[in-house]
Amino acid sequence: MTDHHDHHDDAPLAPSGLRRLTAPGWLRVLWVTPIFFGIGIGLPVLIRWLAAWHPIWKGSVLVTVELVTTPIGFLVGIGGFDYWAHYASGRATRAEDHSGHGARSWRDYFRVNTDHKVIGIQYVVTTIIFFCIGGLFAMLFRAELAQPGDQYFNPQTYNVLVSNHAALMIFLFVIPAFAGLGNYVIPLMIGAADMAFPRLNALSFWLLPIAGVMLLTGMVVPGGGPSAGWTCYAPLCSHQPLGQVFFNMGVQWAGASSIMTALNFLVTIITMRAPGMTFWRMPLLVWANFTTSMLVVIATPFIAGSQFFVMFDRVLHTNFFEHGGGGYVLGYQHIFWFYSHPAVYIMMLPGFGIISEVIAVMSRKPIFGYRLMALSLMAILVLGFSVWAHHMFVAGMAGWLRVPMMVTSMVIAVPTGIKIFSWLATMWEGRIRFSTPMLFALGFLSMFVIGGLSGIYLASVPIDIHASDTYFIVAHIHYVLFGGSVFTIFCGIYYWFPKMTGRMYDERLGKLHFWLTFVGFNLTFFPMHYIGLQGMPRRVADYAGRFADINLFISIASFGLGASTLVFLYNMIRSWAHGPLAAGNPWRAMTLEWQVSSPPPIFNFDELPQVVGNPYEYGVPGARHAIFGAPVPEPVATE
Amino acid sequence: MRRGSLIQLTAIALVAGAITTAVALAVPWLPVDAGQEASRIQFVFWFVTAICIGVFSVVVAVLVYSVWKFRAGPDDDSDGPPVHGHTGIEIAWTAVPAVLVTAISIVSAIVLAQNGDAGSNPLVIKVTAQQFAWSFTYPDGKTYGSLTIPKGRHTKLDITANDVIHSFWVPQLSQKQDAVPGQHNFLVVTPTRTGTFPVICTELCGLGHSLMRSHVTILSAAEFVKWQKGGGQAAAGPPGLSVYRQNGCGGCHTFRPAGSNGKIGPDLDNLKQFAAQAHRGPLTAFIKESIAKPAAYLQPGYPNVMPPTYGAQIPADKLAQLVQYLAGGSR
Repeated sequence: MTDHHDHHDDAPLAPSGLRRLTAPGWLRVLWVTPIFFGIGIGLPVLIRWLAAWHPIWKGSVLVTVELVTTPIGFLVGIGGFDYWAHYASGRATRAEDHSGHGARSWRDYFRVNTDHKVIGIQYVVTTIIFFCIGGLFAMLFRAELAQPGDQYFNPQTYNVLVSNHAALMIFLFVIPAFAGLGNYVIPLMIGAADMAFPRLNALSFWLLPIAGVMLLTGMVVPGGGPSAGWTCYAPLCSHQPLGQVFFNMGVQWAGASSIMTALNFLVTIITMRAPGMTFWRMPLLVWANFTTSMLVVIATPFIAGSQFFVMFDRVLHTNFFEHGGGGYVLGYQHIFWFYSHPAVYIMMLPGFGIISEVIAVMSRKPIFGYRLMALSLMAILVLGFSVWAHHMFVAGMAGWLRVPMMVTSMVIAVPTGIKIFSWLATMWEGRIRFSTPMLFALGFLSMFVIGGLSGIYLASVPIDIHASDTYFIVAHIHYVLFGGSVFTIFCGIYYWFPKMTGRMYDERLGKLHFWLTFVGFNLTFFPMHYIGLQGMPRRVADYAGRFADINLFISIASFGLGASTLVFLYNMIRSWAHGPLAAGNPWRAMTLEWQVSSPPPIFNFDELPQVVGNPYEYGVPGARHAIFGAPVPEPVATE
Repeated sequence: MRRGSLIQLTAIALVAGAITTAVALAVPWLPVDAGQEASRIQFVFWFVTAICIGVFSVVVAVLVYSVWKFRAGPDDDSDGPPVHGHTGIEIAWTAVPAVLVTAISIVSAIVLAQNGDAGSNPLVIKVTAQQFAWSFTYPDGKTYGSLTIPKGRHTKLDITANDVIHSFWVPQLSQKQDAVPGQHNFLVVTPTRTGTFPVICTELCGLGHSLMRSHVTILSAAEFVKWQKGGGQAAAGPPGLSVYRQNGCGGCHTFRPAGSNGKIGPDLDNLKQFAAQAHRGPLTAFIKESIAKPAAYLQPGYPNVMPPTYGAQIPADKLAQLVQYLAGGSR
């Protein structure tokens, strides 16, 4: 229970002199990145000069190549490839000295670090920063929407803000925030010392700031930012200003990060469980990340394809989606939604896992229907791939596809319902503690039910025909992704805060944050159902005068919602620095991450845990999830 | 479960259901239904709403009851009863939602089929969307910038786009369909009310998207015949004005004689001044070039976003009318 900052005095000596320039780190970034920037300019210019293609300097080509080479230069500089480069060069392997593993001072959070606990915190902090930026964008365009007509932004700037609000929240906040929490918790929960591929894990984190900086840079480049919405439908997005290329490529970097992490989760969960940790003894958070990772690995290449093709249409003058050149316009939407609908579950299932942990612990009861809970995750995984075209009911796709896609979309409500009802049954007759994580879990339950039910409306083709592309959709997705995903992320951050920092957050500020967020959220998004059904389309800077009053109300509420985040930030920063020291297991939970100190030892477990029972056996006399220090049995194949 | 708690739970569910029903009925959630299709869609809406109110009330009742009754005291370290599940209940809450969504699917599929049925003799109107205007072409070949249709007859809209994807929507008719370049999509509307309602583009189509509006006028059958015989209401004012309106120039440009106030492109009231600055020949030649080849000269401070298609799409005589109209009205 000591502060981890002075926990390890075996830190290697800092390199000096020329070694500092060549050692992995920010100094090396400063000189390697410009070299790769130069390569990004030199290579296309040389090829175009040799081939006598004019103009030799072509902006769109240079930018596209730069968005590949410059980030690689950054990654080389920071040390993302050092071990592999060394290994590939055939030199004698170096004994691992663990100097890049674990945090000995705050500086270690700004380096390539192979400790999943450091990476988890790097992820969560980075994504919170992008959450704040994305939220500020939302408040800026809500200011514009407070009155009809154009006040502060021209349509181009407005569309850029809307597009990047969504892109940052999806690709730089919700998806990686879950990856960060999973990174911290999963190895601990399954009784492993780290992830299966710690170096890949480090690399996948460092792709994330690259993607974020790329999306933000794209907003301010000469010519203008991407303004075709986060969905950036072809052919509109092939004719956007230069910033669109930054968007196309930024999504690639975020997607690559996502795929690497998912592969790591899969291998870790399949191969690195502690003795006795059968699949049916895994905590539901591990189940949730297992299914999510399969979704990520299968689906993410599709959005990569859609963004590459649409960029090629622009840069290489291909005709994937250009009708004039024989392309198939709706092909973009099919490919895009084949990722982006499963992505909704990528942004939801890890949250389901967090809620299962918190509700069982805070209600002091076993999860009701554990196996059905795990199986319903698998059902959502399978069904999730068969519903993408419900985003296209009015798009003019093959008519026969509408009813089958409606039926599968409806059916997916069944496994989702099972989860909701099982959480309620878990709470039933429990001994419920209303700590901040539990409040966010209850907030999630109630709001996600509303989001799920408005999803039933939209799954019905005739209603969707009326409501599609209106503010009803905006309301629905925010009930699902804010009331669902964001509430569960807050829930998880509060729940594991003592484990991650070794300190306790301020419970009163946590509750204040919850109530401000809960009320602000409903005041902001519930009225959107109404204006959407009445006739206000989404993605407009200007609107009919009869929606003026209600939009002013929504804007004011949204500023309140934004301000509630300040309470969260203050609580987190202050508690991390000065909060009371946390015990190893403040929630009296059974899962493995709580059976070690807070924060955990550098290799997680001083003694190998032996899993002997289920993870949620609250109220069962004498039940244990795991025992420590038992003689390790011969590994045997478990059920 | 004790009988008392069951009664309390039911009471909470009834209160929650009553409040939700009141919200559903007191707020005018949907616009007036001006077509058969809209009425059917609204029926599905209320059918789904009834089911959702039931589900929502049950969930809220259990949630509220749990928060109320199962709160642990500050010093209570005890655990709840170790219940792991109940096969019967789990089957029930899998089966009941499955039945409900099946019912919704069946109703929706029937309404979808009915709403796509244009009968044997529909009025077919070609709808063409482009940045940032709608045009409606009738069987007699005449084209208008707004839609006029008769009450009580199936109208089949044949929808396409010239440049990017747009979407045709009239909230009061409920029907919506994307306009996709190179593709003909069909939409059936059968008006049941006369009146004028907005036509809204609902698919982000570029900088002028929020201004891409038109309107639909629904006339009685007799008035519609009269309207068609009269060749449509002849637009008051010079011939150039109707060309200006049909092509949606006002979506992006301010031009006081036409009453438009778009802000994406330059203010056409100042064309004379622009022409003098541009040094690209006399005023009419400058205007003609700016319409046919918008990229040839860009007014400083404005992006190169005007579609280059107008030169080919506006017939020569109409273009001449438009140029005259703009030249005459500018300062």
